[in-house]
Amino acid sequence: MELLDPAILLQLLISGLLAGALYALLACGLNLVFGVMRVINLAHAELMLVGAFSAYLLYRFFGLHPVFSLVIVVPAVFFFGYYLQRVLIERVVGQPLLSSLLATYGVSIILVNIGLLLFSADYKSVPAMQGSILFGEIAISKPRAVAGLISVALTLAIYFFLERAHLGKAVRAVAEQPQVAAICGIDVRRIRMLTFGMAAAMAAAAGVMLAMIYSFSPISGADFIQKSFAIIIIGGMGNFAGALYGGLLLGVVESYVAGFSSSQWAEAVAYLLLVAVLLIRPTGLKGTAYVK
Amino acid sequence: MPSLLSIRGLEVAYGAVQVLFGVNLEVQTGEIVAIIGPNGAGKSTVIKAVVGLAAVQQGQIVFDGREIANLPAHIMPALGIGYVPQGRIVFAQMTVTDNLEMGAFLQKDSVKRRQAVQQVFEQFPRLYERRHQPAGKLSGGEQQMLAIGRALMMNPRLVILDEPSLGLSPKYVDVIFDQLLALKQQGRTLLMVEQNAARALELSDRGYALELGHNRFADSGEKLLANPDVRRMYLGGA
Repeated sequence: MELLDPAILLQLLISGLLAGALYALLACGLNLVFGVMRVINLAHAELMLVGAFSAYLLYRFFGLHPVFSLVIVVPAVFFFGYYLQRVLIERVVGQPLLSSLLATYGVSIILVNIGLLLFSADYKSVPAMQGSILFGEIAISKPRAVAGLISVALTLAIYFFLERAHLGKAVRAVAEQPQVAAICGIDVRRIRMLTFGMAAAMAAAAGVMLAMIYSFSPISGADFIQKSFAIIIIGGMGNFAGALYGGLLLGVVESYVAGFSSSQWAEAVAYLLLVAVLLIRPTGLKGTAYVK
Repeated sequence: MPSLLSIRGLEVAYGAVQVLFGVNLEVQTGEIVAIIGPNGAGKSTVIKAVVGLAAVQQGQIVFDGREIANLPAHIMPALGIGYVPQGRIVFAQMTVTDNLEMGAFLQKDSVKRRQAVQQVFEQFPRLYERRHQPAGKLSGGEQQMLAIGRALMMNPRLVILDEPSLGLSPKYVDVIFDQLLALKQQGRTLLMVEQNAARALELSDRGYALELGHNRFADSGEKLLANPDVRRMYLGGA
């Protein structure tokens, strides 16, 4: 393989951006929860797997294509997250970080074990789509293209909601100054329910997309939560756009490393990138210093 | 005529530490009322209790005929109470315009929200010039104007200000007091806590001097300024 062939470089770039978009969708939800309520959600990757297994069940028993199962799974997991916030997470907001780590770790353990009971530890996949799309010399796998594009669309939709919509601005106001937001008439608890619901829905959507590409089991969450942490630290803790850039950056770098050496190295690159960013810019690409 | 705001026997404690021991206070529509007192007198706690940011143990807070003690902070704008927090707290990463829009969060009609933003810009032209900038980039005085403007967005019947001149440069202290005077001339009702007691009393119709969580003096602004005891205890002796 001629590595410096521009077609191959472009191929690696595109497949990296598509994979990175999926990472970004996942990591943005994690960062949104951290940004708004200073809670690190250790169950975020399990919420993603709820999406993946839902897509699996809907495909297996109803023949529903994952792209269409989004319409069911995303709202369902939104409401699950909305009420999980109300029942559990709200109690640990503003508490020492250990409380929220333990609470969300508990949710993660519960979800993993429900998954093991229902599905065993065997790997599942959703082979709903095969084949590649050809653009001249460049071939992009269809499921990866669809997953990447839908991930970009969803991430941008949430981004513009936060930037432009009246309710989205209220989410940012609560993230910055919860007490002052309250005195402006914003029901802070409700905004936190909305936030956790959105983050859970983003994770589930990422899970549905992931199900089209990878095989997964109830214990697959660990790899993804670790990469998501690397991404939000690279991008800047609590910064939504930072997680978007961090995800795309990691996808592209992994793609080139896998292309030029091996996929084993690509697995390690997230952490090398993390160390590099921390050395050069400790607050992350888009981050500002975290002031408590 | 019943008072717009009536506080009777207010007691507030933070944990085991009691801060207010039965404070009484009245605000009539159209008045400017100042609460003065040294640090630790409980001035800010009185208004925090009114707006739902401090839990009330005992006593009544009646606004416009309705008991509001221990109601959550987020319903205050709907009741007609605007609040300017101490330390000119703005949403630093959001633009000036978005900060103001948040002041009218409960106004779902975006056209009316924009009209309210325009009215604040007419009152504070400086904010209009900086409308696209993140609020964190503004000077301290501009941030205080923004915090006041944000509190005006729902056209409240009572504006409560916690130390509006605290930490500002002398030039901006003048600007903020001029703005408060302008609000008075527009017929707004203001309740403020102010460490700059002399200037606050000059502007106010009435004042309350607190001492260690108790009412000490209550009178018109002029009479308090002329009272030798008040001058000695609260105005630096002169």
